[in-house]
Amino acid sequence: MPRVNRTFVFVLLLASSCAFLLFQLYYYRNYVSKEPGLHLLDPAGHVMSSQVQWQNLKKFLALAQFFRLPLFLADSAALALLSQDALRQRDRAMHEPHCSFLCAGRPITSFALPASQWQLSPGFLLAAEQKGFQLLEVRGRDPRLASLDTLSGEEIPLHFLFRLHGYIIHVVLLYERSGGYLWHGALRLKATADPTFAPFRLLDYGRHAGAYDRPELLLTVVDGLDVRVPRNISRFLVQRQEARFLECRYHDARSFLQLYPDDSSAAAVEFRRKAKVLLRLAAQTLGRLDIPFWISSGTCLGWYRQCGVISYSRDVDIGIFISDFRPQITTAFRDAGMSLKHQFGKVEDSLELSFLGEDVKLDIFFFYRDGDVVWNGGTQAKSGRKFKYVFPSFSLCWAELLEVKVRVPCETLDYVMANYGGTWSVPVKSWDWKSSPSNVIENGVWPVAEWAGLIQVY
Amino acid sequence: METWTPNPRAKPFIPRQQRSWYLTWKYRLTQRRSLRRFCQAGAVLFLFVTVVVNIKLILDTRRVADEDAADQEYDVVPNMETPRRPASGRKVLDIEVYSSRSKVYVAVDGTTVLEDDVREQGRGVHVIVLNQATGHVMAKRIFDTYSPHEDEAMILFLNMVTRGRILIFTVKDEGTFHLKDAAKNLLKSLGSQAALGLSWRDMWTLVVKKGGQVYGEKHSKSPALSTWGDPVLLKTEVQLTAAEEAECHWADTELNRRRKLFCSKVEGYGSICSCKDPAPIEFNPDPLPSNNVFNVPVAVIAGNRPNYLYRMLRSLLSAHGVNPQVITVFIDGYYEEPMDVVELFGLKGVQHTPISIKNARVSQHYKASLTATFNLHPDAEFAVVLEEDLDISVDFFSFLSQTIHLLDQDDSLYCISAWNDQGYEHTAEDPALLYRVESMPGLGWVLKKSIYKDELEPKWPTPEKLWDWDMWMRMPEQRKGRECIIPDVSRSYHFGIIGLNMNGYFHEVYFKKHKFNTIPNVQLRNVESLRKDAYEAEIQKLLREAELLDHSRNPCEDSFVPDTEGKTYIMFIKMESELDTSTWTELAKCLHVWDLDVRGYHRGLWRLFRKRNHILVIAVPISPYSVKKPAALVPIHLEPPPKEEGAPVEQL
Repeated sequence: MPRVNRTFVFVLLLASSCAFLLFQLYYYRNYVSKEPGLHLLDPAGHVMSSQVQWQNLKKFLALAQFFRLPLFLADSAALALLSQDALRQRDRAMHEPHCSFLCAGRPITSFALPASQWQLSPGFLLAAEQKGFQLLEVRGRDPRLASLDTLSGEEIPLHFLFRLHGYIIHVVLLYERSGGYLWHGALRLKATADPTFAPFRLLDYGRHAGAYDRPELLLTVVDGLDVRVPRNISRFLVQRQEARFLECRYHDARSFLQLYPDDSSAAAVEFRRKAKVLLRLAAQTLGRLDIPFWISSGTCLGWYRQCGVISYSRDVDIGIFISDFRPQITTAFRDAGMSLKHQFGKVEDSLELSFLGEDVKLDIFFFYRDGDVVWNGGTQAKSGRKFKYVFPSFSLCWAELLEVKVRVPCETLDYVMANYGGTWSVPVKSWDWKSSPSNVIENGVWPVAEWAGLIQVY
Repeated sequence: METWTPNPRAKPFIPRQQRSWYLTWKYRLTQRRSLRRFCQAGAVLFLFVTVVVNIKLILDTRRVADEDAADQEYDVVPNMETPRRPASGRKVLDIEVYSSRSKVYVAVDGTTVLEDDVREQGRGVHVIVLNQATGHVMAKRIFDTYSPHEDEAMILFLNMVTRGRILIFTVKDEGTFHLKDAAKNLLKSLGSQAALGLSWRDMWTLVVKKGGQVYGEKHSKSPALSTWGDPVLLKTEVQLTAAEEAECHWADTELNRRRKLFCSKVEGYGSICSCKDPAPIEFNPDPLPSNNVFNVPVAVIAGNRPNYLYRMLRSLLSAHGVNPQVITVFIDGYYEEPMDVVELFGLKGVQHTPISIKNARVSQHYKASLTATFNLHPDAEFAVVLEEDLDISVDFFSFLSQTIHLLDQDDSLYCISAWNDQGYEHTAEDPALLYRVESMPGLGWVLKKSIYKDELEPKWPTPEKLWDWDMWMRMPEQRKGRECIIPDVSRSYHFGIIGLNMNGYFHEVYFKKHKFNTIPNVQLRNVESLRKDAYEAEIQKLLREAELLDHSRNPCEDSFVPDTEGKTYIMFIKMESELDTSTWTELAKCLHVWDLDVRGYHRGLWRLFRKRNHILVIAVPISPYSVKKPAALVPIHLEPPPKEEGAPVEQL
């Protein structure tokens, strides 16, 4: 009796679970097609899913083409594959449309779009939504107005995320900035936004704001789709690695300038003009040599404290890692119309170059890594005394100073504090480079015999 | 159990290599008990999987449902500001209106929406328009009906207000001296009973729905000419209507969505909000065949004159070749209504925290706007600068497109301006003609980025200097001898009569009769001759062919210029130095052109039209063209009449 009962119960249960399962399958099919965000079932396997992703991309790119949006591929994984397999790809693309590059095994594909091409008309977004894409638009403050602090415009679109069938297409908008570079904002969700819309950690862009040179584009066929890609992919990828951009602290700078108004005398105005010319020249010259540099000492302080140059500082200071030193620097600056004023030290120790252009001195300090600190040297010409300025280790970020794109230490405050101490926010007009910096260390004296080679003043 | 019987027979699918396993399984399965065991285990497993999948499904569905709910909540948020009231639970507004000699106020639901107790200010009829569905203030106006013509403005305004809106009237000080019968009749037709009897220094308040019921009216007569009526305080209640009744049913387009938003917030923009046949907010003017200024950013400098801004933007967006994408409106202050106007037209608006006062405030606003314009458009070499009280000619961009290369190539140029200071109805003639002038006219002009960034921005007057930005720009230190290109017939029209340096009289005298081009696609003549050296050659040519006017006649008399057409005449006036302006000023007065300072000349030469003849006026001896003067000729000398003080000396 109990046995019969048991069988019966089992049959009943089985039947009902089958019915249930069938219902679920039906429900899922319905559901998945409507709500692509749910990764509930992944029965299709990779091949199928990359097909889905490819279909998404095809749909999306067709739409972008229809609206004449000059998107270009900015996806680091896809571009990395492309730069490796540039040749093989051409053969493969001929065969069938198969998503071997664009999908790259990630649920996200990133594109970039020059914001000037972004039409205000919401036609594109509406059309994308009609095609089934779900949209997340991330807006933020317009940094081009932030420098004025007293202006407030509407927030500008920074990122678009299009989601379909669980795959994300990320469009990052690149804004033209006064320094002649492209800028994209950080992706920060509003409280009302859906934090599960996309795997935000996997996004290529948006962790920080970024700065890029305007890439030259190339229209090509990738995985059977017409896609624009940067002509120099590896260069673009390198740029992406070190693209982090720091906006100047305009608000704090304004407070500082209220406390200590800028000198508006003709001489100060003239110095600012010259410093700007000099900085631009330095950026161009070193850019051509592909030598990364950052603004250092007083110039860095000026950027950090007042988003400008300190008019009484009388020179422009930049830093270069000694590993990037190249002997061509001197000739390159000469060719740019600047004269070498002095050269102290040697490549192995405390190298320092000074050029003169526009009546303003450009000091180039070479930085040496030593464990977890970096230091640069100083030399007093008349006595041969050596000094050492020690900084905590730092990485480099982009920033804008006097409408020139320059690098600054990302950990700017630590850098400035190391150099100027806790009272960096108070202007000091009488500054002695040998004793005033809080990180200066006496470093002996150059041997007199070597002075001729190590202390050259022109 | 029958359904499972095929299972044990599915032998061929099992790979041969696993024969031993296969055999053991076969052995086990043939045993009925083990088969049952197996089925049971399978069923339990199956159940378990089902349960897990089910739970996951439930969780996921709930999450999605939560998100949907969150979305809905999000949707609700913006509506909080304009609560959509259910038709059944209509709300009642308590309204208080006070009218007296020295103070008026209006409170809606305890919130003061109007309070004016400043002396010597706010005289006349105050009108407030409320949205009948939300109770929001949509417009506030004062009509100083003690003064002439203000009642006409009031009639115009009241006629523009949409039917169904709630109108609140209150009088401060005096509002009837020039309140004519037409206006009183209109008030009566709105439902006022006291309107016809309103007279000198009466106090009066009225709350009424346009085209509907009267919610309350109070009136106190003035007992005598020298005294005012007793203050009146009207308290009444207004029933709000359903939102749907307050809205029009326009087709659901992007444009109409903007229109709807605008019309639910403000009143007094006429047919823009008309339900049946609304005025367009998109104009689609013809593009220019080859437009050199399509990407030149346009900065519209605005304050809090939303009706002006509306008129200005309409003309701007109707000009041929306009590119709305590059227009930015800079509003000095966080005013709502100008921003509403900007958004109505789908343009970009930027608000500016006011810095300093008076002229310095305007100057700081200009600086911030110009800097921001070049920040927003880093590629731009130029910017077009406009003000909110200008009409823009239909060929404004065509004019700029034909001339902008000069500003790029000729370093002796300071700007291109659409405005001719001396171009009045009777002194400007030729829309294809251009001049070079040494002054900076402004009022619709093009600024070169390099001039701004390298010269002007670094030394722009600081907030504590109460300077006019344009006067500062005209100073020799800034202008450095450079000139501006202007058209004979202006491409902008200055219609503003309220403003920092502006009043009705001033406008009537100096701006009303200004000539304004309305012809599209004017092909400018001889643009290349505007370059520095070519222009001198052009002038020399003109001087050669010019006929000398009869200097013995009075230049202020009409007969001074012969009744010819299309001729060029020349006259010489006395001007010993830059400061010796009396003759020109007197001449300008009788010619009815700009006479408040000396403007619109090129090396001591003015060019203008009289009776369709081109007249060259040369200042002797400061102009280098004085050499053309016959030796015996005595230049005209005029002295100001000795009596009375002159016109109020104000600057634009």
